[in-house]
Amino acid sequence: MMVSFFDQFASPSYLGIPNIAVAIALPWVLYPTPPARWINNRLITIQGWFINRFTNQLMLPLNVGGHKWALLLASLMIFLITINMLGLLPYTFTPTTQLSLNMGFAVPLWLATVIIGMRNQPTIALGHLLPEGTPIPLIPVLIIIETISLLIRPLALGVRLTANLTAGHLLIQLIATAVFVLLPMMPTVAILTAAVLFLLTLLEVAVAMIQAYVFVLLLSLYLQENV
Amino acid sequence: MIRKYTYGGHTLKNSGSFGACLVQASRSFHQSSQSLAPVPPLPEKGGKVRHGIFPEELFTLLYPKTGVTGPYMLGTGLLLYMLSKEIYVINHETFAAASIGAVVIYGVKKFGPSVATFADKINEDKVAKAQEVKDQAMASLAQGIEDEKKEQWRVEGRHMLFDAKRNNVAMLLETNYRERLHMVTNEVKKRLDYQVELQNLHRRMEQEHMVNWVEQSVIKSITPQQEKESIAKCISDLKVLAKTTQARASV
Repeated sequence: MMVSFFDQFASPSYLGIPNIAVAIALPWVLYPTPPARWINNRLITIQGWFINRFTNQLMLPLNVGGHKWALLLASLMIFLITINMLGLLPYTFTPTTQLSLNMGFAVPLWLATVIIGMRNQPTIALGHLLPEGTPIPLIPVLIIIETISLLIRPLALGVRLTANLTAGHLLIQLIATAVFVLLPMMPTVAILTAAVLFLLTLLEVAVAMIQAYVFVLLLSLYLQENV
Repeated sequence: MIRKYTYGGHTLKNSGSFGACLVQASRSFHQSSQSLAPVPPLPEKGGKVRHGIFPEELFTLLYPKTGVTGPYMLGTGLLLYMLSKEIYVINHETFAAASIGAVVIYGVKKFGPSVATFADKINEDKVAKAQEVKDQAMASLAQGIEDEKKEQWRVEGRHMLFDAKRNNVAMLLETNYRERLHMVTNEVKKRLDYQVELQNLHRRMEQEHMVNWVEQSVIKSITPQQEKESIAKCISDLKVLAKTTQARASV
């Protein structure tokens, strides 16, 4: 029995054992390891095709040094997409609604790109702080602004994912409650609200996939600047 | 993608560092995955399901006892039981579930077949590529067989070529022999002609010499008196002839 709408975002635990570990480990179960066969079944074929295609696309703008991140970024993408999509099912807990998890992904990875940039090519990395073609009087202000923009990136990454998913889930709950409450009273309005709920669910499916993709894409962009 | 390698016999032997060659050599064959080759083929299609989630085996299981409607009665009964006993309470999540269920079912129904054909096409392309390689190899080998047969047929006709060549050579030899024979004949004839001409020349010279000698001796032997007598005789003969001619002419 829910007391408030925010209880769905409470990190679940059972008899003191946190269930979030199970929730985080679940996506791994859903992707079978491809067997050592030449022709596989449809699931494995599609899975392999998708991962190959995605990694190829992601690694296109990166130079060879950035290709070391292929495994990390591809697995991160699969992980986030699966978690987001599974969270849309009823009575599930979405780990990516937890700010702690998202910051735990964003800060170390962003920091890694910055440190790589500063270590290997400090001039170029610092040069990104000043966009080309700025008028001379604006340079000091712009440096400060770009530095702030750089430092706010991990925060933006984590909070973007958290906020999108949390907001989406909350909206779904609210509108579903509206349908539930209106159904005995005003069925027509309830049906209209149900239509809104359907559209919202469609949106949430899209958002789930897009947010995961954006997270990984931005990380690859930061990597591209620095590697 | 990370593959998990499962070696049978993953014991203390394998717990050494990677540098120890002994680790790999001590892997037992009859327990490792190599003994399972050839791998049995995968089933062509996945397990049959009814209504997308319930496996067909459930219906087959219940059919002997409860007939065709058995599983449906079970499902309905379970659902009503959970609802009536409030084991499952209808709340706002139900509508969220209905909504996401509608999205999923719509997605599967609409894009399912196309995704399946896409996956099949990927596999079929793989198989087709390999098949093409195999077909090309077979075609080239068959072509090789055909070419070899043709060469063997060509070899059979070789004796005709040899006969023709033999004839040619024989003709050349014959011609050469005849030419040389002709030449020899000519040479011998020339020699013999020379000898004949030489003899003729001798004879002619002897004859001329003799004639000259006779003439010389006759001329020498003619005395001047005989010469006068012969001239006078000739003149008298001429006169007689003239007379007879005149006489014949006047007659």
